[in-house]
Amino acid sequence: MNEQQHEYAIVSSGLNREFKVRLKAEGLAASLRNFFAPAHKTVNAVNNLDLQIRPGDIVGFLGPNGAGKTTTLKMLSGLLVPTSGNIDVLGYTPFNRDHAFLKSISLVMGQKQNLWWDLPPVETFAIHRRIYGLTDAEYKSRISELIDMLEIVDCLETQTRKLSLGQRMRCELAVSLLHQPQILFLDEPTIGLDILMQKKIRNFLLDYHRRFKPTILLTSHYMDDVAALAQRVIVIDHGNKVFDGYLNDLTHKMHPEKIMSVLLNNGEFICLPEEGCRLIHHDGHHYRFMLDRKRVPEMAARLYATGNIADLTIEDPPLEDLIGQLFTSDKPTRP
Amino acid sequence: MIAMFTADGKLAVLKAYFKIILTYRGMLLIHGIRLLLLPMVLASAWLSIEKTAQNPYSDSDYLLYYLLVPVIMNLTDSRIVFKFSLAVKDGSLNRDLLKPFPPLMGYLLESLANNAMQLFYLLPFSFVFWLFVRDRIVLSHLEPSLLLYFLAAIVIGGMARLAVSGSIALLSFWIEDVTTLNLILNGGIWALLGGMIVPVATFPDKIRYIAELLPYRYMLSFPIEIFSGRLAPAEIWQGFATALGWIAIFSIIMRLIWKRGLKTYTAYGG
Ligand SMILES: Nc1ncnc2c1ncn2[C@@H]1O[C@H](COP(=O)(O)OP(=O)(O)OP(=O)(O)O)[C@@H](O)[C@H]1O
Ligand SMILES: [Mg+2]
Repeated sequence: MNEQQHEYAIVSSGLNREFKVRLKAEGLAASLRNFFAPAHKTVNAVNNLDLQIRPGDIVGFLGPNGAGKTTTLKMLSGLLVPTSGNIDVLGYTPFNRDHAFLKSISLVMGQKQNLWWDLPPVETFAIHRRIYGLTDAEYKSRISELIDMLEIVDCLETQTRKLSLGQRMRCELAVSLLHQPQILFLDEPTIGLDILMQKKIRNFLLDYHRRFKPTILLTSHYMDDVAALAQRVIVIDHGNKVFDGYLNDLTHKMHPEKIMSVLLNNGEFICLPEEGCRLIHHDGHHYRFMLDRKRVPEMAARLYATGNIADLTIEDPPLEDLIGQLFTSDKPTRP
Repeated sequence: MIAMFTADGKLAVLKAYFKIILTYRGMLLIHGIRLLLLPMVLASAWLSIEKTAQNPYSDSDYLLYYLLVPVIMNLTDSRIVFKFSLAVKDGSLNRDLLKPFPPLMGYLLESLANNAMQLFYLLPFSFVFWLFVRDRIVLSHLEPSLLLYFLAAIVIGGMARLAVSGSIALLSFWIEDVTTLNLILNGGIWALLGGMIVPVATFPDKIRYIAELLPYRYMLSFPIEIFSGRLAPAEIWQGFATALGWIAIFSIIMRLIWKRGLKTYTAYGG
């Protein structure tokens, strides 16, 4: 048994995964040639990835479509064999799929990963209880707690395929957490859900983490998820790690500016580029501009001093922009 | 203790498959009727042609044979080829790989549940069929030891079919559509050499010899041959040995394919 406390729950070094993709040929002659000698292209889905994640941390895993996030989660959970490199999760090599390892992780990938499609969720719970060898007491207390936290009393008896997306996702989470995994891999847990449901799931995850302290590695395209849940983010692009650190640092590093919005009672606001001000929007007495982070307090004070302010807000640029900028910049930022 | 829990998991999964099959029981009825049709047509065909001197089968043998063909076909049936190739394509294999539960066990349990349930739909029809022809069937030779051999042969036949089908199913790691391959190996050759159309015992000697060496006879014809009292104990034991040998060979093949397959598996989905 791997009972001793490890410094890291998840470690990978020099992790690579290639996919051979068959190229489609255009035209008859090329198609024929392709049939006898198929042309292949190698995609480097994950490239020399080093990860170190401490037990109990929540880490956001970001990147554009096709960056290699899902591929990484599949390797960390033992579904995919790495092309090269090492992985150590809780002292196990995931691809060996030891039962003791499988009992301490959970992968949530869409709403069909764990639920039995043709049976109501209660039945899947009962099966999991047996497969994971939970005692009566464990099962009863955990299941009632999860049903409560996820508010899924009403969907338990309905055939899973007949549930709504949001209901299914919450039941999927309940199943995945029944054996109280030490590590939780979440691949876009809020995809396709409405804002309210996204928020519900997010709050649930925060609450669950507070109670049980699992290590969570989470991918999401909704920045609100990441901002609400993760202190640390890892950003990858084309399989390469381009950022690894605190969310705040990412913001500071990428965006030395903040966005200010002022509504004047009357008169005009003059945005001087030499003072680090960049006007983005102007409409009547309303001005919206970017300003160097360091100059924000001084500017705010000055504006208030005029006594001409109806409204003033200061915000960070949206995370989406930031991430977008990370991918378009030619020099990736390394920690 | 741990083994007990694992066994528990198997029971829970078996129960789950029974429940799923019951929700789709309309399918069982259709499948059951389909199983019956061909043997009934063949039975009437064989009864209407003149018997030659070399043919060891009497009318009673033919009737009993085709009466039992659907039952044995049903009991040794396995849907692993269809199910596994689907699981590779739609990513549901991912689910099975990440459970602390043998990933292929589900297919065995599903076959068990399916075949047991289907028997309930099949037996009434077989019974009616039997009522019509019972005067012409001789069963006086039946004794307990023969029935035991018969049951053992069905279990062994089911295992052989699962091992051969399983090996074909696992090729889904490389081949997108294994159903065609399955149709040839496990459908065509099985129907011919297994004795679905013509009882193996009535084959010309050379072909019969080959059929007795291949695994297919043991999936269908062999249990019926035992039941009809046409095999001596020595022949029965020889049959068991051949079938078990094939089961061992295909189990090893399956294990090898599985290990290699997992390495090429790209875990679609997500
Ligand atoms: N099974 C596969 N076979 C071939 N190529 C694959 C396979 N899975 C992924 N890829 C390729 O690997 C790259 C990374 O894919 P991956 O699914 O890991 O991206 P992702 O970051 O999860 O993207 P998304 O945000 O769209 O989910 C892509 O170029 C993808 O086309
Ligand atoms: Mg993905």
